[in-house]
Amino acid sequence: MKTDLGNYQTAASRRSHFRRPQLALDEMRQLKWLLGGMLILLSVWTVFYLDVDAWTLMGLTTLSVLAGLVWPAWPARLPRIFHTLAFPFIVMFFIGDLWLKGEMLPAMVRLDILLLLYRGISYRQRRDDLQVIVLGLFLIVVAGVLTVSLTFAVQILAFTGCALAFLLVITLTDSVEVKATAEAKKGLRGLITWNAPETGLPAWAERVDWRRLGRRLRAVADWRVLVLGGILFAGVVGVSALLFLAIPRFQMDNSLFLERFISKKARSGFNDTIKFGDVSEIQQDTSVALSVDVSDPKQVPAAPYWRMLVLDDYRDGGFRLSPRMSKEVFARERTGTALRGEARPKLGLQAQWTFYMESGVSRYLPLPGRFEQLRFREVQNFRPSAELGVVALRAEPATMTAYRVEGMDFAEALPDPIFAERWKSWSESAAGGRAEGLMQRRLELNAADRGALARVLAQIGVGKRPEEFSRAASAWLTSNHGYSLSPKIPGGAGDALVRWTASREAGHCELFSGAMVVLAREAGFAARVVIGFRGGSWNGYSNNFTVRNSDAHAWAEIWDAGRGAWLRADALAPAATAADAAAAGDGAIARRLDRSWTARFDSLRVFWYRRIVSFDARSQVETLQAVKAATETTGKRLRESLERAVAALKAWLAGPWDARRVAGLSGVIAGLVGAGWAMRNFRFWMRDFRWGRGGRKVDPVRREAGRLLARLREPLSDGARAAAGAAEEESVRLELERLRFGPQATWTQPEAVLRRARGALKTRRRERVSRS
Amino acid sequence: MSDFVSPPALAESRQAIDRLRAAMRRTIKGKDEVIEQVLVCLVAGGHLLIEDLPGLGKTTLAYALARSTECLFSRVQFTSDLLPSDVTGVAIYDDRERSFVFKPGPVFANVVLADEINRATPKTQSALLEVMDRARVTVDGVAHAVGSPFMVFATQNPVDYEGTFPLPESQMDRFLMRLHMGYPLPADELEILRTARTGYDAIKVDAVVTKEEVLRLQALVAQVFVEDSVLDYILRIVTATRTEAEFKAGVSVRGGLALRTAAQARALVLGRDFVLPDDVSALAAATLTHRLAPARQTSDALEERRVVGATLKRILANVAQPS
Repeated sequence: MKTDLGNYQTAASRRSHFRRPQLALDEMRQLKWLLGGMLILLSVWTVFYLDVDAWTLMGLTTLSVLAGLVWPAWPARLPRIFHTLAFPFIVMFFIGDLWLKGEMLPAMVRLDILLLLYRGISYRQRRDDLQVIVLGLFLIVVAGVLTVSLTFAVQILAFTGCALAFLLVITLTDSVEVKATAEAKKGLRGLITWNAPETGLPAWAERVDWRRLGRRLRAVADWRVLVLGGILFAGVVGVSALLFLAIPRFQMDNSLFLERFISKKARSGFNDTIKFGDVSEIQQDTSVALSVDVSDPKQVPAAPYWRMLVLDDYRDGGFRLSPRMSKEVFARERTGTALRGEARPKLGLQAQWTFYMESGVSRYLPLPGRFEQLRFREVQNFRPSAELGVVALRAEPATMTAYRVEGMDFAEALPDPIFAERWKSWSESAAGGRAEGLMQRRLELNAADRGALARVLAQIGVGKRPEEFSRAASAWLTSNHGYSLSPKIPGGAGDALVRWTASREAGHCELFSGAMVVLAREAGFAARVVIGFRGGSWNGYSNNFTVRNSDAHAWAEIWDAGRGAWLRADALAPAATAADAAAAGDGAIARRLDRSWTARFDSLRVFWYRRIVSFDARSQVETLQAVKAATETTGKRLRESLERAVAALKAWLAGPWDARRVAGLSGVIAGLVGAGWAMRNFRFWMRDFRWGRGGRKVDPVRREAGRLLARLREPLSDGARAAAGAAEEESVRLELERLRFGPQATWTQPEAVLRRARGALKTRRRERVSRS
Repeated sequence: MSDFVSPPALAESRQAIDRLRAAMRRTIKGKDEVIEQVLVCLVAGGHLLIEDLPGLGKTTLAYALARSTECLFSRVQFTSDLLPSDVTGVAIYDDRERSFVFKPGPVFANVVLADEINRATPKTQSALLEVMDRARVTVDGVAHAVGSPFMVFATQNPVDYEGTFPLPESQMDRFLMRLHMGYPLPADELEILRTARTGYDAIKVDAVVTKEEVLRLQALVAQVFVEDSVLDYILRIVTATRTEAEFKAGVSVRGGLALRTAAQARALVLGRDFVLPDDVSALAAATLTHRLAPARQTSDALEERRVVGATLKRILANVAQPS
């Protein structure tokens, strides 16, 4: 797009016969105001996924900037004292924020938003516009480093495009204003609207009509500028991608680095407790909680259970992780990237499981079973528990957490030698009359509740082996209770879970698992509740396992003293699924295959995690090797194809010539000539076709004549023409003018005129080349 | 009648215009562009408002045109005490006939020079309305046709506005164009100084075209072809003046029609039977500026004209020409 200033015209535009429409200076300023506002909004909206308490400021900024866009004149109504006090206020706000909350990064983010708010409601000079870009970039970068989310990728792309357009408009406006200054000094008063003082109402803001500006933008939009802008944008993105691929990888301990600046707060994820007295509805959140890449998909079970946390202590009508467990069973906190697990190394190739856990899910890592080794993408603070088969991070991560697990053992039974020792010790103590509390056995219920449980157990028929009990109890529970996300617990005295167990009310997984545990404990087994996820779907586009928040589940584990392991007891697992829980292979994947549109979008997220977020030195080498191999292969194939074609041509030429071959060759040549001729005349045939069918009402002859006319009217930059050429051009120009603007009835041989015009242009090019 | 200008008619019109142009250039030195626009106005059948300082050849221009075209020339000096009947004519009682007889005024000519038109009262100015619009005068219910062809050359001084009555917008809208003469170039002025004549009536100008030829030229204008994209170009210019905040009001429909007719006339004057976008852009300022008033009125008429001119120029730069 070009700009003009009142009656200012560049020398080039004065020479050009056909002027292009241009934006006036005030329109450029309006466009600058619009783009600046958009940039501010794009930047401050990072607060949506940034874990910083700045919602009020963000909302205020959004409203103010939107108001400024709708009524650009309103900032002028702010009293002058507002601008006078703004800077001291912002400084005081920052100091106070830092002093009161003591967090550097959130305070800087709030300061940044406040500055953007001020810039959004004051008329900006050039330096202020540049400041808006820097301030916005700060927010975007902070959000990117902290969250590393796909939203960030989309936002940085939008920001880049918007910032490029903004910079272009700033530069154009500035250059026009510089020229305006020069013109004004020459005395062209009255034609130029100057920047008003910062607090006054500038002329451009007096009459802003965004629809009109949109129409003007459409009118002045030059496809060459748009293409150039597109290329520039693609270039920036491409260079960034190349730098991303090419620069050496290094490990940045960003979590440790940033956690010093920002305190994370646990959001609604998994709780460490289950309370049955105040059971509420479970919301079906179908957002992705976990994406899992498996190096060998055939090893994925049909219905995997992703264990996260074990709750052992049942008291006051709820399960929780007992303080003793949380203190003793978990090892001391470690800081690092690797964790050796309890599973024994197996022979043969081990599948690698790469987990991408979304933020806001939990601080406990979902794991299908015991493992040989676990590696985090970045340094983490974590506490593992070998006894529970659980790994807990220090805090719920604010960003996606990636970790890779090798040597996964996802058997239905979870061996636990430590608990086996304790069970043995406890059993002996109980037999010797010194029974101590073992949390997994404890059932502190009153006599009435225990009686109710005993009655239920009598109906179930207690087996001696845990598998038998699990089967029988599951069958009884599912036959007496339906499944519902909106459970109802019957009223009355005593324990809520026992009341529900004894009733025939429907319930959800927490009630089923809780009932299974209390029944098992009443029957004399050690049992506990495990929470995590069950199942998931296989994304057919990105070939990974996707687990959603709606797959959250709770089940029971019953101690099998004979095997020294915890057996999974899930009353809600369908019989077929339970049987296939450990089964794997193509059939299992096919049953869980998801090729929906949601899966398509999820695959983008996985691509982001795989190729961008987890792009380490190894991935870099792999990618570069793949690029190199692909280039070599393509070159080799091209060379081979060319050699084959040459060999075939040689063989064909060396073959005996007869009438048939000559006829065939003549036919091909005639066909090529005919095709060339047809292409040359195609536009004329299309013209008749279009006009005959009432298509586009632009006569192609007129259009072509206009195009050639514009080129012929371009002034020669290198001096005079040869007289003959100039005379021919003049003659052709007159004919073209008739074709373009004259009555159609007076046209004579338009094709011949167009050919002459093309010839004249060729002559002009040749003359130019010969002169140069 | 053919829809388009026939080649013989076009050739004939070229010859007539060439003769007329040459005769005018012999009389008026160094004002080729003004002569071109006057010819356009004549061929289009419009009226001309010339704004400039006294003594720059306005009267000579009108006189030369009248003489070259074998037309009757008449000059009216407008003053504040000039009555409408002084312009149009009056019915007086004839004793011999024993009835009222219409005595034609100075407008009953082919080329009428209304000198310093803004010095007359609005009443007298508006007396010109009918005659400019319909080429006739109605007195006592009887319509009297003025000369054919008929063209009004009105002049006004843009600097000295003391004791004047600015022309109302309705009156301005009836002028096809507004021109400025400007000072001649030094070389041309030197040649003027060398001539012995002092007044316009001393000029010897031979008629080079007849009144009938002028009328034929005027009839041909309507047959000059205007392609759709050029009409659209005119429309976009006119529409842009209506949405431009610098103007109090945009150009009227009559203004758009005037621009089209002027462009057709220019094409014919330049020997073409079709209109180019250049014809439109070349005449837009002369045809439209006097129909536009700035939104912010000032006491400085020259400044107002400059603002209107600059804004229209910007509009012309912004509205894309068909290519």
